[in-house]
Amino acid sequence: MGDSQYSFSLTTFSPSGKLVQIEHALTAVGSGQTSLGIKVIPVIAAANGVVIATEKKLPSILVDETSVQKIQILTPNIGVVYSGMGPDSRVLVRKSRKQAEQYQRLYKEPIPVTQLVRETAAVMQEFTQSGGVRPFGVSLLVAGYDDKGPQLYQVDPSGSYFSWKASAMGKNVSNAKAFLEKRYTDDMELDDAVHTAILTLKEGVLTPAEIEDYLQEVE
Amino acid sequence: MSRGSGGGYDRHITIFSPEGRLFQVEYAFKAVKAAGVTSIGDKLLDPTSVTHLFPITKFLGLLATGTTADARTLVQQARNEAAEFRFKYGYEMPVDVLAKWIADKSQVYTQHAYMRPLGVVAMVLGLDDEFGPRLFKCDPAGHFFGHKATSAGLKEQEAINFLEKKMKNDPSFSYEETVQTAISALQSVLQEDFKATEIEVGVVREGNPVFRVLSTEEIDEHLTAISERD
Repeated sequence: MGDSQYSFSLTTFSPSGKLVQIEHALTAVGSGQTSLGIKVIPVIAAANGVVIATEKKLPSILVDETSVQKIQILTPNIGVVYSGMGPDSRVLVRKSRKQAEQYQRLYKEPIPVTQLVRETAAVMQEFTQSGGVRPFGVSLLVAGYDDKGPQLYQVDPSGSYFSWKASAMGKNVSNAKAFLEKRYTDDMELDDAVHTAILTLKEGVLTPAEIEDYLQEVE
Repeated sequence: MSRGSGGGYDRHITIFSPEGRLFQVEYAFKAVKAAGVTSIGDKLLDPTSVTHLFPITKFLGLLATGTTADARTLVQQARNEAAEFRFKYGYEMPVDVLAKWIADKSQVYTQHAYMRPLGVVAMVLGLDDEFGPRLFKCDPAGHFFGHKATSAGLKEQEAINFLEKKMKNDPSFSYEETVQTAISALQSVLQEDFKATEIEVGVVREGNPVFRVLSTEEIDEHLTAISERD
């Protein structure tokens, strides 16, 4: 990878030691639609899992909402959501799916979540160092379930990743994170987590009427 | 101490600006609007060679808005890709697959410095085996969505407003109504009545999945129907 005419990296260090292109990429992520994830590991192992959710605001009522799917499946037990530039996320989804398949073919077993996250993050890091390319303008939340139980990872444009109990990205991230911090408990169950995810998105997104409808359905 | 605006290069190639924007992509969008409406008034110009509506396969059509040269490149590549797909997989390339392919290619141009984004918005249409008639719009940023109705070009926002009003209660139009709504949208937005030779219309419909460009006579019939209706 790397474009022959551009044998130099476009992402270079500033005098203060920062990689400014990555910072700008993070700004692009920060102006994207909010998404979040919550991991639950209650005492009853049967009720544990991970929830990811995102805003899906479309530019016009003329857009066919069934043609848009922001939450994507990477393997039968790993899903991903993004905040930032949609087209960039498609590239990463495609590469990750391929990596998962290659692992499966070689080892005859599903790829562990950490492995897939590591490989995806490596791709993102490549684009911060290779010649003639810019970093990806997305942060990803990868949610998966494997032998080690439920897992939630956030991957940033720099290629760094961390495991989270709950996280948010995109617009309103500080409100969303504050809300999650207040509401997150170690013994939440999956339904609580779904509920919390929707309420968190509501903080900047859904109208009170829409929340009312949902709460009524649930009750 | 940050380097400010990326050394000035953020406007020349697709790297991020400090606000997290891609100026080259934004300029590509401007190029789509600046391309203007082609006039066919020139005596020396062969009018049949001026077109924005391209068949990609027998069943898929593409309407390209923006820079003509970029549009032709895109159409060539799309035709090649659709033909290879048919050969490799043994069935016709579906609309959404072609739209996704165009969008993914556009995304590459927004990330790699060696190629600039194309100044074209492509609307792909066709009849899907499972989902019926489908319309997708792909832009220079690599976004693509399915649409019930949409527009692109200089007056796209006005046209979209017009279409939103017409489509608000999710009406089901007959074939004639659909064609006439499209033509009326153009007329209302550009505020002029057209002659049949001044617009192009392409259709796919249930029961006739072949992508067809309407002849001048058929367009004339629709124009007459519209003026009688008003």
